[in-house]
Amino acid sequence: MAPARRFDAVFEGDDLGPVEHFLAKDQVRAYARAVDHYFPRFTDDEAARREGLPGMITPGNMSMGLLTTLIDGWAGPGNLRRLGVTFRGLVLPDRTIRLCGAVTQKDEATRTAELDVWIESDEGERLVIGTATVSLA
Amino acid sequence: MALEFDRNILGGEFDRAEHETVTAEELVAFARALGETSPCYVEAGPELVAHPTYCIRFRGRKFFPDNLPEGLRTRMSFDAGKDIDFGAPIRPGDRITIVSTLHELYEKTGRSGTMVFVVVRFTMTNQRGERVATVDNRMMYRGEG
Repeated sequence: MAPARRFDAVFEGDDLGPVEHFLAKDQVRAYARAVDHYFPRFTDDEAARREGLPGMITPGNMSMGLLTTLIDGWAGPGNLRRLGVTFRGLVLPDRTIRLCGAVTQKDEATRTAELDVWIESDEGERLVIGTATVSLA
Repeated sequence: MALEFDRNILGGEFDRAEHETVTAEELVAFARALGETSPCYVEAGPELVAHPTYCIRFRGRKFFPDNLPEGLRTRMSFDAGKDIDFGAPIRPGDRITIVSTLHELYEKTGRSGTMVFVVVRFTMTNQRGERVATVDNRMMYRGEG
Protein backbone atom coordinates (compact mmCIF):
# COMPACT_ATOMS: atom_id res chain seq x y z
CA MET A 1 0.00 0.00 0.00
CA ALA A 2 1.17 3.54 -0.71
CA PRO A 3 2.36 5.48 2.35
CA ALA A 4 -0.01 7.91 4.02
CA ARG A 5 0.29 11.62 3.42
CA ARG A 6 2.55 13.24 6.03
CA PHE A 7 0.84 15.06 8.90
CA ASP A 8 3.42 17.89 8.81
CA ALA A 9 2.74 18.51 5.11
CA VAL A 10 -1.00 19.06 5.63
CA PHE A 11 -2.53 22.40 6.59
CA GLU A 12 -6.05 23.49 7.46
CA GLY A 13 -7.57 24.96 4.33
CA ASP A 14 -5.69 22.65 1.95
CA ASP A 15 -7.81 21.55 -0.99
CA LEU A 16 -8.45 18.01 -2.21
CA GLY A 17 -9.01 18.16 -5.93
CA PRO A 18 -11.18 19.30 -7.50
CA VAL A 19 -11.13 16.25 -9.74
CA GLU A 20 -13.34 16.52 -12.80
CA HIS A 21 -14.95 13.27 -13.78
CA PHE A 22 -17.19 12.45 -16.71
CA LEU A 23 -19.69 10.01 -15.26
CA ALA A 24 -20.61 7.72 -18.14
CA LYS A 25 -23.84 5.73 -18.10
CA ASP A 26 -21.84 2.57 -18.66
CA GLN A 27 -19.79 3.28 -15.54
CA VAL A 28 -22.98 3.55 -13.48
CA ARG A 29 -24.25 0.31 -15.01
CA ALA A 30 -20.93 -1.39 -14.21
CA TYR A 31 -21.26 -0.27 -10.58
CA ALA A 32 -24.87 -1.45 -10.36
CA ARG A 33 -23.78 -4.82 -11.76
CA ALA A 34 -20.79 -5.06 -9.38
CA VAL A 35 -22.99 -4.58 -6.30
CA ASP A 36 -25.83 -6.72 -7.64
CA HIS A 37 -28.09 -3.68 -7.57
CA TYR A 38 -29.06 -3.79 -11.24
CA PHE A 39 -32.31 -1.85 -10.86
CA PRO A 40 -33.84 -0.04 -13.84
CA ARG A 41 -33.48 3.41 -12.26
CA PHE A 42 -29.69 2.90 -12.32
CA THR A 43 -29.45 1.33 -15.74
CA ASP A 44 -32.12 2.58 -18.13
CA ASP A 45 -33.39 6.08 -18.93
CA GLU A 46 -36.88 5.09 -20.02
CA ALA A 47 -37.48 2.87 -17.01
CA ALA A 48 -36.21 5.61 -14.70
CA ARG A 49 -38.60 8.13 -16.29
CA ARG A 50 -41.47 5.77 -15.63
CA GLU A 51 -40.52 6.07 -11.94
CA GLY A 52 -40.80 9.85 -12.20
CA LEU A 53 -37.06 10.48 -12.44
CA PRO A 54 -35.48 12.68 -15.11
CA GLY A 55 -33.50 9.69 -16.42
CA MET A 56 -31.21 7.05 -14.97
CA ILE A 57 -29.54 8.13 -11.75
CA THR A 58 -26.34 7.28 -9.92
CA PRO A 59 -26.77 5.17 -6.77
CA GLY A 60 -26.03 7.16 -3.62
CA ASN A 61 -23.61 4.45 -2.57
CA MET A 62 -21.67 4.98 -5.80
CA SER A 63 -21.41 8.69 -5.04
CA MET A 64 -19.87 7.74 -1.70
CA GLY A 65 -17.47 5.45 -3.52
CA LEU A 66 -16.43 8.20 -5.92
CA LEU A 67 -15.75 10.55 -3.01
CA THR A 68 -13.66 7.80 -1.45
CA THR A 69 -11.47 7.67 -4.56
CA LEU A 70 -10.78 11.38 -4.06
CA ILE A 71 -9.93 10.92 -0.37
CA ASP A 72 -7.86 7.79 -0.98
CA GLY A 73 -5.94 9.45 -3.78
CA TRP A 74 -5.05 12.29 -1.43
CA ALA A 75 -4.44 10.49 1.88
CA GLY A 76 -3.19 7.17 0.48
CA PRO A 77 -5.14 3.89 0.41
CA GLY A 78 -6.15 2.42 3.74
CA ASN A 79 -6.15 5.70 5.68
CA LEU A 80 -9.85 6.56 5.61
CA ARG A 81 -11.25 6.10 9.12
CA ARG A 82 -14.76 7.58 8.82
CA LEU A 83 -16.97 8.97 6.08
CA GLY A 84 -20.43 10.50 6.43
CA VAL A 85 -22.48 11.96 3.61
CA THR A 86 -25.84 13.56 2.94
CA PHE A 87 -27.51 13.04 -0.42
CA ARG A 88 -28.94 16.43 -1.40
CA GLY A 89 -29.65 16.08 -5.10
CA LEU A 90 -29.72 13.55 -7.91
CA VAL A 91 -26.35 12.73 -9.45
CA LEU A 92 -27.18 12.22 -13.11
CA PRO A 93 -24.81 10.30 -15.39
CA ASP A 94 -23.71 11.34 -18.85
CA ARG A 95 -22.29 14.60 -17.57
CA THR A 96 -19.27 15.92 -15.75
CA ILE A 97 -19.14 16.08 -11.96
CA ARG A 98 -16.46 17.53 -9.70
CA LEU A 99 -15.10 15.70 -6.66
CA CYS A 100 -13.97 18.30 -4.12
CA GLY A 101 -12.66 18.51 -0.59
CA ALA A 102 -10.85 20.65 1.95
CA VAL A 103 -8.99 20.09 5.22
CA THR A 104 -10.97 21.65 8.07
CA GLN A 105 -9.01 20.50 11.13
CA LYS A 106 -5.90 18.62 12.22
CA ASP A 107 -5.42 16.65 15.42
CA GLU A 108 -1.81 16.28 16.56
CA ALA A 109 -2.65 13.69 19.25
CA THR A 110 -4.25 11.24 16.85
CA ARG A 111 -2.37 12.39 13.72
CA THR A 112 -5.63 12.66 11.84
CA ALA A 113 -7.28 15.30 9.70
CA GLU A 114 -10.93 16.21 9.32
CA LEU A 115 -12.16 16.90 5.80
CA ASP A 116 -15.16 18.43 4.16
CA VAL A 117 -15.91 16.58 0.92
CA TRP A 118 -18.55 17.09 -1.73
CA ILE A 119 -19.66 16.32 -5.27
CA GLU A 120 -20.78 19.22 -7.36
CA SER A 121 -22.45 19.38 -10.72
CA ASP A 122 -20.98 21.17 -13.70
CA GLU A 123 -23.22 24.10 -12.69
CA GLY A 124 -21.65 24.21 -9.22
CA GLU A 125 -24.57 22.72 -7.27
CA ARG A 126 -23.47 20.57 -4.33
CA LEU A 127 -25.29 17.28 -4.84
CA VAL A 128 -23.59 15.24 -2.13
CA ILE A 129 -21.90 16.74 0.92
CA GLY A 130 -20.00 15.06 3.71
CA THR A 131 -17.19 14.91 6.20
CA ALA A 132 -14.38 12.42 6.63
CA THR A 133 -11.55 11.55 9.00
CA VAL A 134 -8.21 10.31 7.64
CA SER A 135 -5.05 9.07 9.32
CA LEU A 136 -1.80 10.79 8.40
CA ALA A 137 1.80 9.58 8.78
CA MET B 1 -47.00 17.20 17.14
CA ALA B 2 -43.68 15.76 18.31
CA LEU B 3 -42.82 12.24 17.26
CA GLU B 4 -43.82 9.83 20.01
CA PHE B 5 -42.54 6.28 20.25
CA ASP B 6 -41.37 3.71 22.75
CA ARG B 7 -37.65 4.37 23.19
CA ASN B 8 -37.15 0.72 24.14
CA ILE B 9 -37.23 -0.13 20.45
CA LEU B 10 -33.85 1.61 20.01
CA GLY B 11 -30.72 -0.50 20.06
CA GLY B 12 -32.33 -3.91 19.82
CA GLU B 13 -31.07 -6.38 17.19
CA PHE B 14 -33.81 -7.04 14.65
CA ASP B 15 -31.90 -8.89 11.96
CA ARG B 16 -28.71 -10.91 11.51
CA ALA B 17 -27.50 -12.06 8.12
CA GLU B 18 -24.36 -13.81 6.93
CA HIS B 19 -23.24 -13.22 3.37
CA GLU B 20 -21.49 -15.51 0.96
CA THR B 21 -17.71 -15.62 0.87
CA VAL B 22 -16.12 -12.52 -0.64
CA THR B 23 -14.20 -13.22 -3.84
CA ALA B 24 -11.26 -11.39 -5.39
CA GLU B 25 -13.20 -11.01 -8.63
CA GLU B 26 -16.01 -9.06 -7.02
CA LEU B 27 -13.60 -6.81 -5.13
CA VAL B 28 -11.77 -5.96 -8.35
CA ALA B 29 -15.02 -5.41 -10.30
CA PHE B 30 -16.27 -3.05 -7.59
CA ALA B 31 -13.07 -0.99 -7.50
CA ARG B 32 -12.81 -0.82 -11.29
CA ALA B 33 -16.42 0.41 -11.54
CA LEU B 34 -15.37 3.39 -9.43
CA GLY B 35 -12.43 4.07 -11.76
CA GLU B 36 -9.95 2.98 -9.09
CA THR B 37 -6.44 2.10 -10.23
CA SER B 38 -4.50 1.52 -6.98
CA PRO B 39 -2.96 -1.97 -7.14
CA CYS B 40 -4.20 -2.86 -3.66
CA TYR B 41 -7.80 -2.59 -4.97
CA VAL B 42 -7.55 -3.91 -8.53
CA GLU B 43 -4.76 -6.51 -8.63
CA ALA B 44 -5.65 -9.97 -7.39
CA GLY B 45 -3.05 -11.33 -4.96
CA PRO B 46 -2.11 -11.31 -1.29
CA GLU B 47 -2.23 -7.50 -1.04
CA LEU B 48 -5.76 -7.19 -2.42
CA VAL B 49 -8.28 -5.50 -0.09
CA ALA B 50 -11.78 -4.19 -0.67
CA HIS B 51 -12.26 -0.59 -1.66
CA PRO B 52 -13.51 1.10 1.56
CA THR B 53 -17.14 1.58 0.52
CA TYR B 54 -17.45 -2.00 -0.71
CA CYS B 55 -18.98 -2.72 2.71
CA ILE B 56 -22.17 -0.81 1.87
CA ARG B 57 -23.16 -3.41 -0.69
CA PHE B 58 -24.04 -5.66 2.26
CA ARG B 59 -27.45 -5.44 3.86
CA GLY B 60 -29.62 -7.50 6.10
CA ARG B 61 -32.61 -9.63 5.07
CA LYS B 62 -35.01 -6.96 6.24
CA PHE B 63 -34.22 -3.29 6.36
CA PHE B 64 -36.62 -2.06 9.06
CA PRO B 65 -37.69 -3.64 12.33
CA ASP B 66 -41.24 -4.90 12.67
CA ASN B 67 -41.83 -2.57 15.62
CA LEU B 68 -41.20 0.65 13.70
CA PRO B 69 -43.89 3.20 14.70
CA GLU B 70 -47.09 2.45 12.85
CA GLY B 71 -47.17 5.84 11.10
CA LEU B 72 -43.91 5.02 9.31
CA ARG B 73 -44.38 1.36 8.46
CA THR B 74 -46.26 1.79 5.21
CA ARG B 75 -44.72 5.05 3.99
CA MET B 76 -42.06 5.51 1.36
CA SER B 77 -38.67 6.61 2.71
CA PHE B 78 -35.70 8.20 0.98
CA ASP B 79 -32.01 7.49 1.44
CA ALA B 80 -30.84 10.73 3.07
CA GLY B 81 -27.26 9.66 3.66
CA LYS B 82 -24.87 7.31 5.39
CA ASP B 83 -22.12 7.38 7.99
CA ILE B 84 -19.44 4.72 7.89
CA ASP B 85 -16.92 4.02 10.61
CA PHE B 86 -14.30 1.78 9.02
CA GLY B 87 -12.64 -1.14 10.79
CA ALA B 88 -10.50 -4.02 9.52
CA PRO B 89 -10.19 -4.21 5.73
CA ILE B 90 -12.33 -6.75 3.89
CA ARG B 91 -10.28 -9.36 2.00
CA PRO B 92 -11.05 -12.23 -0.37
CA GLY B 93 -12.26 -15.25 1.58
CA ASP B 94 -13.99 -13.16 4.26
CA ARG B 95 -17.51 -13.99 5.34
CA ILE B 96 -19.33 -10.90 6.52
CA THR B 97 -22.10 -10.98 9.12
CA ILE B 98 -24.43 -8.00 9.50
CA VAL B 99 -26.31 -7.24 12.68
CA SER B 100 -29.06 -4.65 12.21
CA THR B 101 -30.34 -2.38 14.96
CA LEU B 102 -32.64 0.63 15.04
CA HIS B 103 -30.14 3.25 16.17
CA GLU B 104 -32.04 6.54 16.17
CA LEU B 105 -35.44 8.00 15.40
CA TYR B 106 -35.93 11.75 15.35
CA GLU B 107 -37.90 14.55 13.79
CA LYS B 108 -36.55 17.71 12.20
CA THR B 109 -38.24 20.76 10.77
CA GLY B 110 -36.55 22.60 7.94
CA ARG B 111 -37.47 24.92 5.11
CA SER B 112 -39.32 22.15 3.31
CA GLY B 113 -41.36 21.18 6.38
CA THR B 114 -41.20 18.39 8.92
CA MET B 115 -39.19 15.25 8.28
CA VAL B 116 -38.69 12.09 10.28
CA PHE B 117 -35.33 10.33 10.21
CA VAL B 118 -34.86 6.65 10.94
CA VAL B 119 -31.27 5.54 11.41
CA VAL B 120 -30.67 1.83 10.90
CA ARG B 121 -27.23 0.67 12.01
CA PHE B 122 -25.45 -2.23 10.36
CA THR B 123 -22.59 -3.63 12.43
CA MET B 124 -20.45 -5.75 10.13
CA THR B 125 -17.94 -8.33 11.31
CA ASN B 126 -15.80 -10.91 9.55
CA GLN B 127 -15.45 -14.61 10.34
CA ARG B 128 -12.72 -13.80 12.91
CA GLY B 129 -15.11 -11.55 14.81
CA GLU B 130 -13.27 -8.38 13.75
CA ARG B 131 -15.46 -5.37 13.07
CA VAL B 132 -15.04 -4.34 9.43
CA ALA B 133 -17.49 -1.43 9.46
CA THR B 134 -20.34 0.24 11.27
CA VAL B 135 -22.76 1.78 8.79
CA ASP B 136 -25.53 4.15 9.86
CA ASN B 137 -28.21 4.37 7.15
CA ARG B 138 -30.21 7.57 7.46
CA MET B 139 -33.68 7.17 5.94
CA MET B 140 -35.97 10.17 5.66
CA TYR B 141 -39.77 10.40 5.68
CA ARG B 142 -41.48 13.62 4.67
CA GLY B 143 -44.20 14.86 7.02
CA GLU B 144 -44.77 14.12 10.69
CA GLY B 145 -44.33 10.69 12.17
